Amino acid sequence: GSAVKIELSCRLADKYSYMKILQVTWKRGNETIKHINKTENSWGIQLTISENRKLGSYTCTVTGEEEFSVAFHLQVPQIEGREKPVISYEGDSAILICKSHSYTPIAWTWYMTNGSEQIAINDSLMLDKYIIDRTDANVTHLKILKLTKEDDGAYWCEAAYELGKSKGKLKLKILSLMVPLKPFLAIVAEVVILVPLILLFEFYSKKKRAEDEKEFDQIEQL
Amino acid sequence: MGFLLGAFATRLSHLYLSVGLLAGLGWALVFTPSLGAVSRYFPTRRAMATGLAMAGASVVGLALGPLVPLLLDAYGWRGSLLVLAALSFNLMVAGALLRPLDVTIEMESPRPPAPRGQGGLRELLHHGPFLRYALAFVLVDAGYYVPHVHGPARAQEVGCDEQRAGLVMAVTAVADGVGRVVAGLLAARPTASLLRHLFAWSVLTGLALLLLPLGTSFGGLTALALAYGFCAGAIVPLQFTGVAEVVGAGRLLHAIGLMQMFESVGSLLGAPFAGWLRDLTGDFKVSFLAAGAFLLAGSLLILTLPSFFRTSRSDGSGTEGVPDPVPKGLELSSVPLSPPN
Repeated sequence: GSAVKIELSCRLADKYSYMKILQVTWKRGNETIKHINKTENSWGIQLTISENRKLGSYTCTVTGEEEFSVAFHLQVPQIEGREKPVISYEGDSAILICKSHSYTPIAWTWYMTNGSEQIAINDSLMLDKYIIDRTDANVTHLKILKLTKEDDGAYWCEAAYELGKSKGKLKLKILSLMVPLKPFLAIVAEVVILVPLILLFEFYSKKKRAEDEKEFDQIEQL
Repeated sequence: MGFLLGAFATRLSHLYLSVGLLAGLGWALVFTPSLGAVSRYFPTRRAMATGLAMAGASVVGLALGPLVPLLLDAYGWRGSLLVLAALSFNLMVAGALLRPLDVTIEMESPRPPAPRGQGGLRELLHHGPFLRYALAFVLVDAGYYVPHVHGPARAQEVGCDEQRAGLVMAVTAVADGVGRVVAGLLAARPTASLLRHLFAWSVLTGLALLLLPLGTSFGGLTALALAYGFCAGAIVPLQFTGVAEVVGAGRLLHAIGLMQMFESVGSLLGAPFAGWLRDLTGDFKVSFLAAGAFLLAGSLLILTLPSFFRTSRSDGSGTEGVPDPVPKGLELSSVPLSPPN
């Protein structure tokens, strides 16, 4: 694949220029990297990133009377999952979507969690259950058909890049139709009770008014 | 029923038919008679009553703001449609409550019966002032809904997160409700001219829309949105009671129905047009300017109505529905006829 050349540099703020600098270290983990003195107050390193091993956190530490440290995190693009669960119903189907912004992954893989294990989903094996849409390379859709309670749980979409992989988490929650049915029936019951009550009340008060008028007429006639 | 059927939809076209067509039809069939009923019950305080009635819609709109996301998080879209369907069935309760007084008012009112049947409708189409009134509201509607539809997107455009965008919309809804009531109260005074109030509020709304692009911070946007909401809400009761001044109370229902039909053209095109302008120019500034322009254009049309420059107020309860371009002030003595006992 193609390698990326990148230069990282750190600079001490002007207000500390009085400080006598004893040591400047560039490290990745425990491994020290030789740096170059760019200017009086800045130091840099040049890296060629060609494989996953070279990714990670690079730190620059400046030691004098005080010690200052800064870190660069080189990583593959992070995939965003969804915080809120996707809600669907038994027998219905659901679509889980993952997007990679700016960068196009080489491949996408979907995993479902079974207990504590992550199992890859093979859509060619289970054609009537899972469909993975790969028309757009930057986006992946996992369509799950004929949902059951067992499909409830966490799913992972993994994007593979040249330099590494990145995962996003999504949650799928399966409800039975009974769940929204309860508030539905409660409210409809309220309507079914109120409407006849109101109409009965109207009918009764109309009758009463008619009776009052009849009484009135009868009194007038007397 | 539309919502209920929509909960079981398996394709987008199902939703178009159930929630769009059926529920929309239901809402339309409920709306006009409700307005007509309120007008019949309170012929002398029509504006205030309508204002209060329409404020009820604001309350629910405000409540739905946080309620719908809660429903969606708990039940997904199918379950939410189910619950909303149940809530909508309560319209039947409201309908049942509306019936009682109708017969008594009819018996007491001495005014001659309004012309019934299709004749009234066709006459309306030739009624110059009515057509101008309806056209005014086609223009008004083209701009009116732009903040409602694109508001959250605009809020996020100026840097608000989802929560704050929701807050801006909620504030607008509250201001809208208050505006409806206040406008109704102001118009209830006997010396008030409905059409002049309507003109004033729609001009103010247009100006508020023109100023909206200036809101580039959460605070600024909220303040301007509040002003917009208040003025926009004020238009609502006056729009429907103003119809009586233009065509007379006898043809109120026909006129409202016809006007709403024309208006829907404006509202259908307004928000997408604003969206198109945004895609064209990169942000919503021009969209809001255009919306304001529509509002002001509609206001100008209201100026052309014959009833506008009349000094004595006609509440429309004494005239029959005969199309006349002659100012009604000459015939009517402005004293509401009292029912015989």
